[in-house]
Amino acid sequence: MSFTASLRDVTLKYKDTDALADVNLELEAGKIYGLLGRNGAGKTSLLSLLAAFRKPTSGEILIGGEPVWENAAVVSRVALIREGGDFDDADTVKAAIDTGQIRPGFDTEYALKLAERFELPLKKKVRELSRGKRSALAAVCGLAARAELTMFDEVHLGMDAPTRDAFYKELLAEYMDRPHTVILSTHLIDEVANYLEEVIIVDRGRILRHEELEVFQGMGATLTGPAAAVDAVAAGLEVLAEQQLGGTKAATVAALDPGARERAAASGLEIGPVGLQDLFIHLTEPTRKGA
Amino acid sequence: MPALQHLTLPNRRFALGAGFAVEAVKYFKYWILAAVAIAFLGPLALSQYRDIDLSTWYYTANIAKWFTSFVAGGFLFTLVPNMIAAGMTRRELSVAMGVFGLLWSAALGALVFAGILAERAYYGAMGWSQGIDAQGTISAIGTWGETAAFAAVYPLMYLAYFAAGAVIGAAAYRWENSGWLLLVPILPVVFSLDNAVYDTEPFGPAWAGVLGRFMEDWGRGVVLTGVVIVAAGLAVATRQILLDIPLRSKKA
Amino acid sequence: MFDDGTPIYRQIADQIKAEIMNGSLEPGGKVMSTNQYAAFYKINPATAQKAFRELVDEGVLYKQRGVGMFVADDARERLAADFRERFFERVLAPLVQEARQAGIAITDIIDYLEAQEGARK
Repeated sequence: MSFTASLRDVTLKYKDTDALADVNLELEAGKIYGLLGRNGAGKTSLLSLLAAFRKPTSGEILIGGEPVWENAAVVSRVALIREGGDFDDADTVKAAIDTGQIRPGFDTEYALKLAERFELPLKKKVRELSRGKRSALAAVCGLAARAELTMFDEVHLGMDAPTRDAFYKELLAEYMDRPHTVILSTHLIDEVANYLEEVIIVDRGRILRHEELEVFQGMGATLTGPAAAVDAVAAGLEVLAEQQLGGTKAATVAALDPGARERAAASGLEIGPVGLQDLFIHLTEPTRKGA
Repeated sequence: MPALQHLTLPNRRFALGAGFAVEAVKYFKYWILAAVAIAFLGPLALSQYRDIDLSTWYYTANIAKWFTSFVAGGFLFTLVPNMIAAGMTRRELSVAMGVFGLLWSAALGALVFAGILAERAYYGAMGWSQGIDAQGTISAIGTWGETAAFAAVYPLMYLAYFAAGAVIGAAAYRWENSGWLLLVPILPVVFSLDNAVYDTEPFGPAWAGVLGRFMEDWGRGVVLTGVVIVAAGLAVATRQILLDIPLRSKKA
Repeated sequence: MFDDGTPIYRQIADQIKAEIMNGSLEPGGKVMSTNQYAAFYKINPATAQKAFRELVDEGVLYKQRGVGMFVADDARERLAADFRERFFERVLAPLVQEARQAGIAITDIIDYLEAQEGARK
């Protein structure tokens, strides 16, 4: 049974700054979500609330339809893996893994199998691990928690490319083996994009967009060609970015409707896709007003 | 923690509390063994040079109080983020901590109780006097019955020191820069009560025993009741601090 | 592996169609599961599922409950017409446009193609 997650009118203040302001978000059960946002946008705050690491200043957080705060039946099946993990540094790797057994659903055998896959030295102390190995340990504990809502917050930090690849593969395998809700918060957008079903963009404490991945992928377009022709087609469209090289201009638009696409094609413009990462960069541009 | 295998949700807080106690003993086993060894062998070495008229176990038992506070505070400080991140509620953690405190105090209290009685037999056999330094004059603890009564208070004292350590550990996690300052009001209260129980010179910084002069005339029963009330109050305070404690954010 | 322009599910659907056309998937043959596709291409299983759904809707694949997905007996015939249409639209049309931009006459292209065919015979 995987968990739904909802935030209703949630505000989180740290002293007088709003980390999250009046956030409403509904996540269906059993999907892999990508949570994107610039540093300080509120990603970690959002995840901390979902995992009951913090209490919201106001509003309601429901996981699997129940309030998450101080709800043992729920939090024991929710896992938030923060960057570097939450371990007792004096513990050995093995002991750190065993601590996971606090969750009745924890799969120790699977954890040890994963530890071998990620070449974790079981007898070493957690504090002696490199940053990458520490992240791998955190990832292992997150996967083996076999939670109904599993969240990874920048868990890839310090992992090298092959380790990240192995992690994504294991995550996908675990997900297919046992459908549950997953939220991945990361800056390596292009690396994870294809694993996602829906994407949530957080910006300045608010949910900027929440759409299916495909919506984002079909959203933007880059028009390249003679400056005058580009300007003519782009007029009236939401232009996210412009670049000019001599007489050639490239304009990135937020959305290209079929009519505009036809006009662009007719004027011989080159129409290119905008990757999720570029779209994200444009959408969260600090100079942009709203979206 | 081997105690965690096959646990169920409703009982995990108890299993975990027991697990903490086992872990703590395992972690400090050599320290504890060394302390016991010194308590028995120290006077033997010292007897080469002077007459033995002070109980070494009395000192060991007192150091164990500070040690208990340190264990409670240190454990809780690390446990808060680790246990909550591992999917526990704050209520469960506070119950587990209570179980830990009871088991720890009982076990350590039993060890000290046995130690002091064994010491009485040992001193008797060696022809030494098992005494304590009560306000400048050294007086013998007394008969077997008096010795047992003297030693029987330790489990309760450890519980009070455990609760004091726990509340400071929880506060230090919660209020990053100022939480530890809770020491300032707590230390004199616990410490003065402690001194009042034995009617001795403060075992530790003298200023901390300042409240003791208000308690000098209290009877032993009243003082012990005071210890129970303070221990309970500190336990409740720990729980209150834990109940809506937020996990600190990770340093970027 | 995927080009950014077309949605991934469509690229997967196209890939399966191509496999049917070139014979690596036989009519009546079983297709790998969505999970196997997802693991192979490192994509979300929902994306693979979407590709399969589209192929089922087009009558290229059919589903047998509890067993899996199979290639329709007439899949090749269905696809052949499709491919023909798409060949002109997606391959020839841009080619003609590019040739125009480069100032290549259509007749030159025809001559070239005929020469190629001649060489093959």
